[in-house]
Amino acid sequence: MLLVKNLSFYRNQKIIFENIDLSLSPNKIIHLKGSNGVGKTTLLKILTKGLQPQKGEIFWQGKNIFKNSSDYFQNLTYIMDINTSKKEMTVIENINFWKKLFSSKINSKELDSVLKILSIEKYENSLVSTLSKGEFRKLELCRLVIEQKKLWLLDEPYSDIDNESIELLSETFKNHIKSNGMIIFSSHHNPELQNTEVIEIKKNYETL
Amino acid sequence: MKLFNSILAVIYREFKLTFRNSYDILSILIFFILGILIFVFSIGPNKELLSQLSIGIVWTLLILATNLTFKKFYQEDLNDGNIYLLHISGISYEIIVIIKLFCLWIFFQLPFLIMIPVAFLLFGNNFENIYLVMEIFIISSLILTTLASISGAMNLLNNKNIALGSSIIMIFSIPIIIFSVSAINSSVELIQPQINILLGILFLFLAITPWISAFCIKIAISNK
Repeated sequence: MLLVKNLSFYRNQKIIFENIDLSLSPNKIIHLKGSNGVGKTTLLKILTKGLQPQKGEIFWQGKNIFKNSSDYFQNLTYIMDINTSKKEMTVIENINFWKKLFSSKINSKELDSVLKILSIEKYENSLVSTLSKGEFRKLELCRLVIEQKKLWLLDEPYSDIDNESIELLSETFKNHIKSNGMIIFSSHHNPELQNTEVIEIKKNYETL
Repeated sequence: MKLFNSILAVIYREFKLTFRNSYDILSILIFFILGILIFVFSIGPNKELLSQLSIGIVWTLLILATNLTFKKFYQEDLNDGNIYLLHISGISYEIIVIIKLFCLWIFFQLPFLIMIPVAFLLFGNNFENIYLVMEIFIISSLILTTLASISGAMNLLNNKNIALGSSIIMIFSIPIIIFSVSAINSSVELIQPQINILLGILFLFLAITPWISAFCIKIAISNK
């Protein structure tokens, strides 16, 4: 279970958000919504320890992630708003790198079917630099299946991908929460998902 | 074991990426040779003067060539989120720095082991102390790589000002150039003490570089 208590973040004397509480248990999804600049990405970065909040605590399975993060990272997949695959490498080379990096147990048959479903199997041996923006994003989303972690944090996962892939991603979300997974994602898109709590972050105009 | 596999995966990928961008190494080596040619042409046909100045020129060009590599350390990996991805995979920032030091030393400093005899040829030096030059080069190049790592990491905090990173390399390389050139040109009994000083500088930088670079990377990630 992921628990966020009283989280506040300030930058350049401006309050980005204040006193945010979240609670995410298995089989649940949190959808972060809000207009541009309200701090959705910032909140996700804090949840992955990329930023230190000024106030508040985050607990994973009862342990504070800022004091003990190894167990938390072992259960976490974070899909950023940028794509991490290397453009000078082929699609399959990037995938093999992720497999080794995260000691993934996914077999080649499962992997082939994922690539096929995402319609990028024909680009397996193509350089990532030759992919379109949408295909580039789909390759990044493959990490969800490769890493096989319990908690998924995703920043704008629906951006750049076509309608077919949007439905596919929503299906993947449903399957993940059926198998006791947990998801937090930020998006302006409104997918139809069960067990989803929508949290609207409001723009804060206050200064310190 | 999992961490070891992750580290091997990163090293393997660095090898692959450098191999794909091999023109980067080639262009740095060409820069080095062109620099030597410019010195040779500007000093003229005075063989004795060329021979006297050669070690100083070679080391100056090594430092300038290192200046060309410091942006390769972390900038791209920070921009595409890879440093953060590696961190989430369980590799600490300090270990990421050590991996980068190892890979960039092999790719961007070791090729100069071939270039130094070429430089000797161009300057018309005799090859009797070439092994000493190589030995001192290996120590100096390791120090220069650690300096490039610190500069590259500091540059993440202010990537609009490339001169800052270059200045850090220049300032800290002054003692390296003094002891390296002096060790090669001095009498036999003074060689070992100066090599020991260089080794001391190397161990100091090997000890502090992972922490300083990792600290800068953490700040750069939180500023991004």
